[in-house]
Amino acid sequence: METRRLVLTLTGIAVATIVVLGGLGAILLASGGGDDDGTTAGDDAEDDGLGERIDNELRLFGPDPITLDPACASDAGSAEYIVEIFSGLVSFDLDLNVIPDIAEDWEVSDDGTVYTFNLRSNVLFHDNSRPVTAGDFKFSLERALNPDTQSTVGEVYLGDLAGSAEFIAGNADEVTGIRVIDPQTLELTITEPSAVFIDKLTYPTAYVVDQREVGDATCFEGGGWTLTPNGTGPFKMEEWDLGRKIVLTANTRFHLEPAPSLDRVTYILSGGSSFVMYENDEIDITGIGSVNIESVRDPNSDLNADLREGPSLNVFYIGFNTREAPFDDANLRNALSLSIDREFLAREFLLDLVVPAKGILPPGMDGYNESLPDIPFDPDTARDLLEEAGGAGVIDGATILTSGQGATPSDILQVVLAMWEQELGITVTIEQEDFGLFLRDLDDGRFEMFSLGWIADYPDPQNFLDIKLHSESSNNEAGYSNPAVDALLDEADRETDEATRLELYQRAEELIIEDMPWAPLYHGKANYLVKPYVEGFVIPPFVIPNLRYVTINR
Amino acid sequence: MPAGLATYIIRRLLLLPVILFIVSFATFSLGRFAPVDYVEIQAGPRAQPETIERIREERGLNDPVPVQYVRYMGNALTGDLGISTRYQGFPVADVIFPRMWITMQYNAVVLVLTFGIGLPLGTWAALRRGTWQDPLSIGVFLFFASVPVLISVPLLQWLFTVKLGVLPSGGWSEAEYLGVELGIFSKHIVLPVLALTLPGVAGIARYMRGQVMEVLDQDFVRTANAKGLKASTVVTRHVARNALLPIVTILGFELAALIGGSIFVETLLGIPGIGLLAFESIKSRDYDTIMAIVLVGSTTFVLAMLLIDIAYGFIDPRIRVEGSIE
Repeated sequence: METRRLVLTLTGIAVATIVVLGGLGAILLASGGGDDDGTTAGDDAEDDGLGERIDNELRLFGPDPITLDPACASDAGSAEYIVEIFSGLVSFDLDLNVIPDIAEDWEVSDDGTVYTFNLRSNVLFHDNSRPVTAGDFKFSLERALNPDTQSTVGEVYLGDLAGSAEFIAGNADEVTGIRVIDPQTLELTITEPSAVFIDKLTYPTAYVVDQREVGDATCFEGGGWTLTPNGTGPFKMEEWDLGRKIVLTANTRFHLEPAPSLDRVTYILSGGSSFVMYENDEIDITGIGSVNIESVRDPNSDLNADLREGPSLNVFYIGFNTREAPFDDANLRNALSLSIDREFLAREFLLDLVVPAKGILPPGMDGYNESLPDIPFDPDTARDLLEEAGGAGVIDGATILTSGQGATPSDILQVVLAMWEQELGITVTIEQEDFGLFLRDLDDGRFEMFSLGWIADYPDPQNFLDIKLHSESSNNEAGYSNPAVDALLDEADRETDEATRLELYQRAEELIIEDMPWAPLYHGKANYLVKPYVEGFVIPPFVIPNLRYVTINR
Repeated sequence: MPAGLATYIIRRLLLLPVILFIVSFATFSLGRFAPVDYVEIQAGPRAQPETIERIREERGLNDPVPVQYVRYMGNALTGDLGISTRYQGFPVADVIFPRMWITMQYNAVVLVLTFGIGLPLGTWAALRRGTWQDPLSIGVFLFFASVPVLISVPLLQWLFTVKLGVLPSGGWSEAEYLGVELGIFSKHIVLPVLALTLPGVAGIARYMRGQVMEVLDQDFVRTANAKGLKASTVVTRHVARNALLPIVTILGFELAALIGGSIFVETLLGIPGIGLLAFESIKSRDYDTIMAIVLVGSTTFVLAMLLIDIAYGFIDPRIRVEGSIE
């Protein structure tokens, strides 16, 4: 039959195609499949496109940064790279102490407003062309503050400098608070004494950039220079392939001890699951979340020995609009807070990935109050307080604002709402908004309740209590206002004795917990998997330059 | 080239600006009517509202939408596609073209495989009509054509990376071949190609099977067989050529489906192609990048459709524009 020959011909074509493709696939798989054995560098090199893996190289899965311009970065994902490539006058060490960086030392005037920094003379830009001078700092700080640069955070971190307001308003050609005394001496003057000004200088906004390279590039235009940034940090940029990878190499002339021990750090910026990449030895360190934590905690798991846990300086909370009824009533706020079972939430529901909050400040932060009592789970008292506040009717049907883009809002929030419904018999609905819109509604006070987290910029209680809960702070979304708290916070800000200062913050925190403008829920923990041959990796509780302490010991 | 064809092409090309205007204006306005813009999203919770407002004003985001549209299109016509805000400060052209190259590479492989396997498979199934292989193959085709990539990608990922451990879980890599950076020989390409080829092959095979069966029933096939032509000649010269005709149209739809599918596949697998970029640009309100992707994408699509129409004319002279008699 003729059809038979035809069928044979067609089958032949199909089989041939499949065989050719299958063969091609098999070759490719074979050439790259060797994961578990010693993985000779050459084999993988061509296939993963990341270049040949050298002995002293660390491979990480990193966030795809929005910008590497220190003046412009407002997110942790960008700052993570900037702190390794660039540096400033001061930085944090692994114990979160402020240490001299490009500055060799500094003096503070008796009234606490004038900081005189003596710069090291041996700090060179990465291209070794010239040493960093006080003039470079003046250029860099003024650039971050300059309205033409269009930085959204320049003012946030450098607004304490005298004359910055006039400069931003366009009424001055320079910031009077930044003075170059001589090439090795920089004088910064702030409008009023502040214990945290020095902490703010660790943020990328205060880092030094090479003015010959940056020119008049702004945050939104001319960003090309960040492909080859001429920084001063422990690592140099070798290659940035937008959206794909960042390769850093050691700055062998780095001015601090220890100098980087790694020869190269490769960040993979896109790919599937970082957990699977870790399992397949594509990366050496990965963060780990609730999806995989159970399997790794199993003592029989191969990865169990790699699991590390560290504190993370943050707090997640439900905020109330204390400006308006019914949430201007502390009884109502306390009723809601007391009917949340934080132990259950943290231990059972969130699998011990977080610790229940008993105050605002997270464990691990200076001023964290160990002796603060737990916020009890006490439905009976909660119901009494609710009655005093006018009963379930005053709050029934209220909405809680949250940010997110997914189809289902946060599970955690749903658990809290279920607790309220069960213990107090009230129904609260969730309203989910895009993050930007959510922030705008918070700023404008258009909400009843909201859920949010706050992550430290620097490890100081001021960063939480003063910024989030002082009645005059623009970040006080809850609109919380307690003159006694304000007074304590103001006093703490001026206090120069560290122990007294922290005590003032603790007293303020106690008052805040009584008023309960927020119901703090929990503090996150950082969970990581780290390969056994990676030594010296300290889990950063927030973004600090930590790669120069890492060594690889195979 | 026949005169009729030339006018036909010119007429179609004249439509291009109209299509681009409609598409670009719709995209532009929809973006601007979204409640928050990129300055607000980039600024995050710490920035002062006054700073945000000042930058928004300076960047012209407070101007009326038509003014902003004319400004953007004016620049675009001179070849300036704008500045990215997802990759802050980089020209859009520097961001999108490397990404497009990645998407084009694996989609080209998908297209070749889809048609290379789908057409013979469909023809085979048609010729097995009446046997048990026919319903079986239809069942299998239907199954694969119906599984959305949102489901197939995680399954494939689980199978090949977790269970078998032979493929990377996602991402993209390239190596240099004869001076060109190519990713088509890397194992990273296997997952996206599988995910898009499986439903593609199934769809094409199913369609081709129907076409072939229809043609097989036609008189001219019987005539061809009756006059003693070899079976292979009948299939290649008479059956295939006639069955292929509607398939060429499918090519256009296939192309559109691939562009849509790329967004899902790239987002799920973390492939830094144009689909993932489109997704991220929308999330971060990267206006200029969204516009550039839409403009370049729709131009490519319109031109591809035009090429298909022309190819149509060559395969079947009857379709060529009336009036040009050969």
